[in-house]
Amino acid sequence: MSTGKRIALIVGGIYLFLIVLAVGAFGWSRLDNDEFKPQNEFKLDDWIGSGPFAFNKAVMYLLIASALTIGTMLFVSKRMRARPNRVQTAVEWIYTAMRDNITRGNMDDAMARKWFPFIATLFLFIWFSNLIGYIPLPTNTHEKFDLFGAQIPSFALYAATANLSIPLALALVVFIAYNVEGIRAKGFGGYLKSLIPAGITGFAVVPIFALEVLSNFMRLISLSVRLFANILAGHLIILFMAGGLAVLLGIEALGVVIIPFGIAIFLFEVGLVATLQAFIFATLTAIYLGGAVAEHH
Amino acid sequence: MLTFLTAIFAAAEDGADAGKAIALGVGGGLGAVGAGVGIGIIFGKVIESVTRQPEMRDEITGIQWLGFALTEACFFYGLVAGLIAFFL
Repeated sequence: MSTGKRIALIVGGIYLFLIVLAVGAFGWSRLDNDEFKPQNEFKLDDWIGSGPFAFNKAVMYLLIASALTIGTMLFVSKRMRARPNRVQTAVEWIYTAMRDNITRGNMDDAMARKWFPFIATLFLFIWFSNLIGYIPLPTNTHEKFDLFGAQIPSFALYAATANLSIPLALALVVFIAYNVEGIRAKGFGGYLKSLIPAGITGFAVVPIFALEVLSNFMRLISLSVRLFANILAGHLIILFMAGGLAVLLGIEALGVVIIPFGIAIFLFEVGLVATLQAFIFATLTAIYLGGAVAEHH
Repeated sequence: MLTFLTAIFAAAEDGADAGKAIALGVGGGLGAVGAGVGIGIIFGKVIESVTRQPEMRDEITGIQWLGFALTEACFFYGLVAGLIAFFL
């Protein structure tokens, strides 16, 4: 028997043993818990001020992500060396990928030079705000725990992008940017005319034009809801798998059964979804910008 | 009469809860079906094209992740709609 197989068997055995132990200790009876409200994990409490300018945890995450985006990039660019260390190599690789794959792959060179900073900032900002969303921070002011007499808010996962308003604001910026760029390149009438695909003549122009205008506004929804729903659903699944379901149903042993799935989902979200969603958002921005100025639709 | 009305209202309440549970099940379940088929098609086609033209692998990988994320998002549309119906 190989070592890998043996380790797998031992881990599986411990897992089964822990389940049996938990079932033996607590039983398997359902006792619904009405006090725990999972939606409160995503509720925004006003910390400072109130109304639309209140400071809450989404604003805090936003500020941390902006500070990280600016800080890390300035830090690396100030300390550039001819013989790069590991961090510089990684950042240079990301920079090249953003410049060549995301920006230049989807628009011509003049446009790419102009819009690369915007797209790169968008990518890095969304990436950082997705990633810090998976670090537990003491932000849950609903539930507090006692640490040597000090009331500390519970540690919770939250991401700025798990709130629809932030992806929507980013999508609005993108929407305005590509429409303005298209109008600047072709003139207002020319831009509207370029919405109609080539080869369509006669009466069919009217419904096709209406559909194309509608699909432009649908981009606003799809761009923002894609990011928001991915991050929110990821956080919710982590919440339920890592104990939320056991608390909600009151079955203690269920927590032991599903915790490996919680860990797997967490790794999947951190390793793939956080990066992929930032990549998708930046790529689609580049595609929209390139498409708005392209000669052929 | 009163007990009869209470029973009807309780049943209606149960019906609303059941409807919410059905919304979550349909939103999550059917969303997963569609997205699962779509993701399967994407990766199947990627395997097909890479075996035909191995030199295009890098280019195909970029498109593959784009398609994967666009398809996977459809699952989350259904799931989040179901969760909103269930909890809010």
